[in-house]
Amino acid sequence: MKAFIVAVIAAIGLGVAAMYALTSNQKFAYQAFATTGARVSEPGANLVGEKWTGNPSTNDTSESAHGKATGEPSHPKRS
Amino acid sequence: MRRAVTLLSTLVLATTLLVAPGAFAPVQAQNPITKDGQNPMGAKPTADSVNEEFLFKNADKITGRVSIPDGKAANLIQPQGREYQSFREGYLPWIGAIFILGMVAALGAFFLWRGRILTDDTQESGRKILRFNAFERFTHWMTAVCFIILSLSGLNYIFGKRLLMPLIGPEAFGALAQWAKYSHVYLAWPFMFGVAMMFVVWIKDNIPNRIDWAWIKAGGGFIGKKHPHAARFNAGQKGVFWMVAGFGAAMSLTGVMMLFPFALLDINGMQVMQVIHSLIGIVFIAGILAHIYIGTLGMKGAYDAMGSGEVDLAWARAHHDLWVEQEQAKTLSGPQIGGGRRHPAPAE
Amino acid sequence: MARMKFLCDADRCIECNACVTACKNEHEVPWGINRRRVVTLNDGKPGERSVSMACMHCTDAPCAAVCPVNCFYTTADAVVLHSKDICIGCGYCFYACPFGAPQYPRVGNFGSRGKMDKCTYCSGGPEPDLSVTEYEKYGSNRLAEGKLPLCAEMCSTKALLAGDGEMIAEIYKQRVIKRGYGSGAWGWKTAYRETVAI
Repeated sequence: MKAFIVAVIAAIGLGVAAMYALTSNQKFAYQAFATTGARVSEPGANLVGEKWTGNPSTNDTSESAHGKATGEPSHPKRS
Repeated sequence: MRRAVTLLSTLVLATTLLVAPGAFAPVQAQNPITKDGQNPMGAKPTADSVNEEFLFKNADKITGRVSIPDGKAANLIQPQGREYQSFREGYLPWIGAIFILGMVAALGAFFLWRGRILTDDTQESGRKILRFNAFERFTHWMTAVCFIILSLSGLNYIFGKRLLMPLIGPEAFGALAQWAKYSHVYLAWPFMFGVAMMFVVWIKDNIPNRIDWAWIKAGGGFIGKKHPHAARFNAGQKGVFWMVAGFGAAMSLTGVMMLFPFALLDINGMQVMQVIHSLIGIVFIAGILAHIYIGTLGMKGAYDAMGSGEVDLAWARAHHDLWVEQEQAKTLSGPQIGGGRRHPAPAE
Repeated sequence: MARMKFLCDADRCIECNACVTACKNEHEVPWGINRRRVVTLNDGKPGERSVSMACMHCTDAPCAAVCPVNCFYTTADAVVLHSKDICIGCGYCFYACPFGAPQYPRVGNFGSRGKMDKCTYCSGGPEPDLSVTEYEKYGSNRLAEGKLPLCAEMCSTKALLAGDGEMIAEIYKQRVIKRGYGSGAWGWKTAYRETVAI
């Protein structure tokens, strides 16, 4: 029984670790599909929401500025 | 003076404008297109274009060039999507239902025919022998727990909308499917790790040999009362081991390909990965159902091996006689055999 | 009710990408999501043609069939729409779609690609017509205002046709008869299992 409980905890632990690893591996579409010439800083939030989940209703759009999205710009601005 | 310059420049401009058509006239005459797209040679230069039928003769999908930096967008038409649709919606639910329900029915019929396989009591009954140590049990259960969740969430992709969605409604099912998908994707990693660990831990006891052939010829002891010889794992268990190793590797490979879509494969490769993943998954689930049956309901005393790790010596002698001899020779007075301990294994 | 279709006359398309821009502007489509795109075939070679492609709103839509959560539905105008509340972003619709229409807010792993987005034929989603939530989730609803999709409406060469399938097929047929050639209705065989017979 102890081995079973440890196994369940280990599975959940590894699953959570995998979640962080996979999420950090992900890119937003505006980062992935932009070239160096584009330098997208405000990719827009209509249809996808602030957090780019695709579901605007889960985010409160009232507070932040229109078109702002979380995450880094696709390419850093040249100084 | 300024006036004269202006006059001169106007004159130059006027002359240029007058002369220009004359100068360009030969160029115009060389252009065969006269009016309304008509070519005096009888050909229609704009009609000489690519068309769908011609392109499909050369390749099975139509690909061009796009200005957006998304390579997948360059595919204009891939009719293989229709084939994928017919597989996933036409064949896959039937294959899944036949394999899984067929296995359940076969196990039920076997249970009715053979009943629970019992072990005859001997003077060794009640004494315990350690079959799987804590690490082996940990590895097994981690993989097993992940497998059960992965198989349920995997089957949800095929049968969820047919069985569960009418019961709980689309919104609740959508939320459930979302969580099922997260669990499928994230628990795949401990599952892959567990399969790899089990492979390393048990490979030395799972090399097929001549004893296995004799075991298979004897029907594995299912038929009749007499048990064939077996070492630590009999041929059936070795089959489960190699099934888990092989299918686990195949599921991991196709699954990782699907986890990182289009990293290495194109759209048709993704479809093939999905087909392989679903087909092997179904056979895998059916195989593991048999494994669960024989490890719990099908045979008395078998569950202890993974439950407490210690099995009844009489059971071990009957099913894995060569292994018991080996263990006893190794540690005749050692800790392997719980000498005289008679407390029952904790029920798990 | 009409059976809405798209038809791109590749012999007229000049690859100006105005349809793409119109779509982007009309629905405020964010960067990286491409509901419509122009694909150039035989680029730089004789017989080069460009085709503007988006969701074709197929008959017996493959995306709708393979969806594990049945989030797709077909409207009375035969427009294939989906509900972002139910979608789990698994990406199966992209494998099934013959035209590469489904788009996801995030790329990378299968697990959390966000809710799928695709061409709605300018007709919104399951939310009430012309509501704010409908606009935020699916873009504007021109069909509810009695207008056709903007991409086709503002096509400068009238290469991209949208509207009732029989009517646009008839327009295309007359064009082909008048000018004597045509490269065909791209994707119709795969999408509607029929093509424009001339």
